[in-house]
Amino acid sequence: MTRLLPLALALCLSAWTHAAPIAESLVRIEAASQEPNYKTPWSPGTVVSGVGAGFVIDGDRIMTNAHVVSNARFLTVSKEGDPKPYTARVLHVAHDCDLALLKVDKAEFFNGTSPLEFGGLPEIESVVSVYGYPIGGKRLSVTRGIVSRIDFQTYSHSGVDSHLTIQIDAAINPGNSGGPVMQDGKVVGVAFQGYSGDVAQNVGYMIPVPVVERFLKDVEDGKYDRYIDLAISYQNLFNPAARRALGLEDDDRGVMVGAVYGGGSSDGILKAGDVLLEIDGYPIASDGSIRLQNGVVPLTEIVERKFRGEKAKLVIIRDRKKQTVAVPLDDPWPFTLQSNAYDEKPRYVIYGGLVFQPVDRNFLATHDPSNQRLNYSFDFFVEDEIYRDRKELVVLSNILPDPVNAHTGDFRYSLINEINGRRIQTLQDVAQAFAKPEEYYVIKTADVGPPIVLERKAVLASTENILKRYGIASEQNLEK
Amino acid sequence: MNPLLRLIAFCILAQAAVLGGAFQPRFQQQSQPTPVPSPSPATSIETPTQVTTRSIIRVNSTNQAYDYQSPWQKKPSYSRRGLGVLIGENRILVTADLVANSNFIELEKAATGEKSTATIERISYECNLAILRATNPIFLYGMIPLPLEGKVSIGDSATVLQIEPNGELARTPGRISSISVAPYPLENLGLLAFKLSIPLQQRDGSFTLPAVRDDKLVGLLMRYDARNQTADIIPMPVISRFLDSVKFPRLGVSYSPLRDPQLRRYIGLKEPGGIYVTKISPKSSAASAGLREGDVILAVNGLPLDQDGNYEDAEYGRILFSHISSTLTAPGGKVVLKILRNTKIEEITVKIEPMDRSNTISPSFIADAAPPYFILGGMVFVELSRPYLQEWGVEWTKNAPQRLVNYDAFQDELPTDRGKIIVLAQILPSPDTLGYDHIDNVVVKELNGRPIKSIADLAEAAKHPVEGFQKIELEEDPKWLFLDAASIEANRAELIKHYALPATERLDSATSALP
Repeated sequence: MTRLLPLALALCLSAWTHAAPIAESLVRIEAASQEPNYKTPWSPGTVVSGVGAGFVIDGDRIMTNAHVVSNARFLTVSKEGDPKPYTARVLHVAHDCDLALLKVDKAEFFNGTSPLEFGGLPEIESVVSVYGYPIGGKRLSVTRGIVSRIDFQTYSHSGVDSHLTIQIDAAINPGNSGGPVMQDGKVVGVAFQGYSGDVAQNVGYMIPVPVVERFLKDVEDGKYDRYIDLAISYQNLFNPAARRALGLEDDDRGVMVGAVYGGGSSDGILKAGDVLLEIDGYPIASDGSIRLQNGVVPLTEIVERKFRGEKAKLVIIRDRKKQTVAVPLDDPWPFTLQSNAYDEKPRYVIYGGLVFQPVDRNFLATHDPSNQRLNYSFDFFVEDEIYRDRKELVVLSNILPDPVNAHTGDFRYSLINEINGRRIQTLQDVAQAFAKPEEYYVIKTADVGPPIVLERKAVLASTENILKRYGIASEQNLEK
Repeated sequence: MNPLLRLIAFCILAQAAVLGGAFQPRFQQQSQPTPVPSPSPATSIETPTQVTTRSIIRVNSTNQAYDYQSPWQKKPSYSRRGLGVLIGENRILVTADLVANSNFIELEKAATGEKSTATIERISYECNLAILRATNPIFLYGMIPLPLEGKVSIGDSATVLQIEPNGELARTPGRISSISVAPYPLENLGLLAFKLSIPLQQRDGSFTLPAVRDDKLVGLLMRYDARNQTADIIPMPVISRFLDSVKFPRLGVSYSPLRDPQLRRYIGLKEPGGIYVTKISPKSSAASAGLREGDVILAVNGLPLDQDGNYEDAEYGRILFSHISSTLTAPGGKVVLKILRNTKIEEITVKIEPMDRSNTISPSFIADAAPPYFILGGMVFVELSRPYLQEWGVEWTKNAPQRLVNYDAFQDELPTDRGKIIVLAQILPSPDTLGYDHIDNVVVKELNGRPIKSIADLAEAAKHPVEGFQKIELEEDPKWLFLDAASIEANRAELIKHYALPATERLDSATSALP
């Protein structure tokens, strides 16, 4: 303890010189959020509270992480040195890059604050300071570190998106989230994720300015669109035989297109085996990297900075001939099924005590089903183009016991194929199938087994009891 | 042979044997911890124990399975010990898992420690049984075959035999608590099994243990649940089928109970009982007979089935119908099914044959066979099989590559001409595979423009490079791989030397010498 103290003092003292102006812009955010439970999708969910950081930027806006304000029902913000909490609202949220902008209801909140300005990409090994409220606490905390690495990294908030990320050696803990990372009086990043101590130590991550600026530009029109994507996979071309077979010179340039995801931006434009040589004039190295002003980044960084409807110009080699193609960029919809979703109400349909739900990452996180076909369909939804057959993966997620379903077999987590001959593509289809009066409802699943048969008469007689017994307000929710 | 005569003959032989082994020290008697009073060797004809000590023999088997990820080599060997039962002249009955993948089998007389090597006369992994034969039949001279006991009912007692380190028999009595069709361990086929409630001690060499009753063999213990103190016994009907035909006929249907009254009304089923056919295995006996998914099986050979699929067996009570089709009927025999199809009652005769598994896409169990493989410039290709996936450990369904797990799980849904799933299992890094080192467990579609349905196809296609390249098309990322055909040939010797490969290919699954 005695040994720790001088270190902490030293940090405070060294930060003090910068801390005064930055402290005026730093915001402590308290969020009461309500996370739905996908096992009881009809329940509104448990309320939990959390603390995060944010900072004032131009236009009387507060920037923070999306995960600080996700599923928030009530938000308050307070300034450093001013105990008064002000209510705030989410102006824009971008779950795919973990950024959000808040508005404060009373304009007086911004009196005495000064908006922070953004810098650029910091140099490797340069020193940065992290501001926030790690592990709770009411008072500002500052830590220092150096820039260790600049690379692409998965943003754990969505779980599927990866963008440019800066790794620093200052620890980033819960409560640091959303806080500014400063260098020379300017914001060079937004602190957002780290590792738990048993995985890696002294590793923290921040969202760099190019990602932040893209978000700010995206919302200029009043709404946030998602990131766009080439929707391809590509492979390095180090192998000399592969290079010669594809008609390439021995110049360490080019990558080979593997999968072209159906329905994605490049569908119909690129194909497997094409070699990408250049993107927007930047030569592509054989490991897929390009050289920008600030260093070497994956070629996707070019696409990352673009917006929906814009094009990426590619020089490719196909059948040993060089050609130029333009890919109009769009957002990759099938991928969104595989990402964590926030600010959504779980959707479900209950019929005769049978609960039907669409499967997404939120669902899987709660249920952890062991159905092989379901897990495969989810994991390979994009790669094996499962979405061509099923827009959603609708499963029988639970059976609420009642005499009407007392003998329904073990179909839990089976994908639903059809109901009374109607192909089930979405949860909406399930609702519509049951809405049409029939004597029997015959439900066929993707798994081996007899059909599930429900008699309409018996279901109607049981519905009220089931809803009452299990405390369910509504038989279905089809809205997100 | 008249049973009485046989007993007398036993007795004489037994006496001779006792005389031969008369030098047994006395303390063995004292140290025997069994709670069952053990009569001395000198007791009268009626005593069963005298007979059984001369009818069982220790079996030590050294087994070694192939390493499916590096198929040119075997895994470390391990040994299993069990007790075989002499059931005829030079015929020793053991469980198949005792000698699966065996390299070397040894018989050992419990009393004297004399040893002889043995070979497998016949083996079935369906029913987990094997018959061993001593290489030198003289070795078994003086031993007495144990008669088989067919008549057993629930509540009967049975004694499980084990051998103490000192060569004495340990007898643990138990009681048969249920008789039902249960999954057998190796191929997961459901066959009749007795459940024995018995507090068994874990002893060295408990892979095969005989269960006896009134000096006759009731069956072989195939697994023991120490927590619930229950043993599963392979019973006489299964042993008889094995002795008779080795192979077990299979109907090839999956079914579901028909308990739901809503489902029963919907399919227009007015009769009591019956089961719902949910799947017909491709190329199975049921498929040949025209049985279909959705048929309801009401009776088998005139015996009505309840809604769980049980019939009333004259000997064993309520037993699953598959006992009739897989054990009571000989291969090539017929069963008559009464079915409900489209609300009409029909009769259908099924000739039931053993399952033809030569075309199985991903076999669920392989023993005594070497996996085929092909190495092309450091790329190791294998055929998908369950043993390959099981290399990912007990949790293989979660940990193995999911596309491969999926192929294995739903192989019945693949086109019948799909052939084997050929997997690029790993890449032995070499100058030819530079830049490919992160690729593994991807499925091969074509080589040099030729579709690949077996390792042999791959070897053939590799003889025809396109424009000097071996052009591999994969089902998934990275889709295409290229190798320089001439360079591979030039580097082959170096690769073999570097990784100490015995060969760069094994095109057929070579089986060890089994009849």
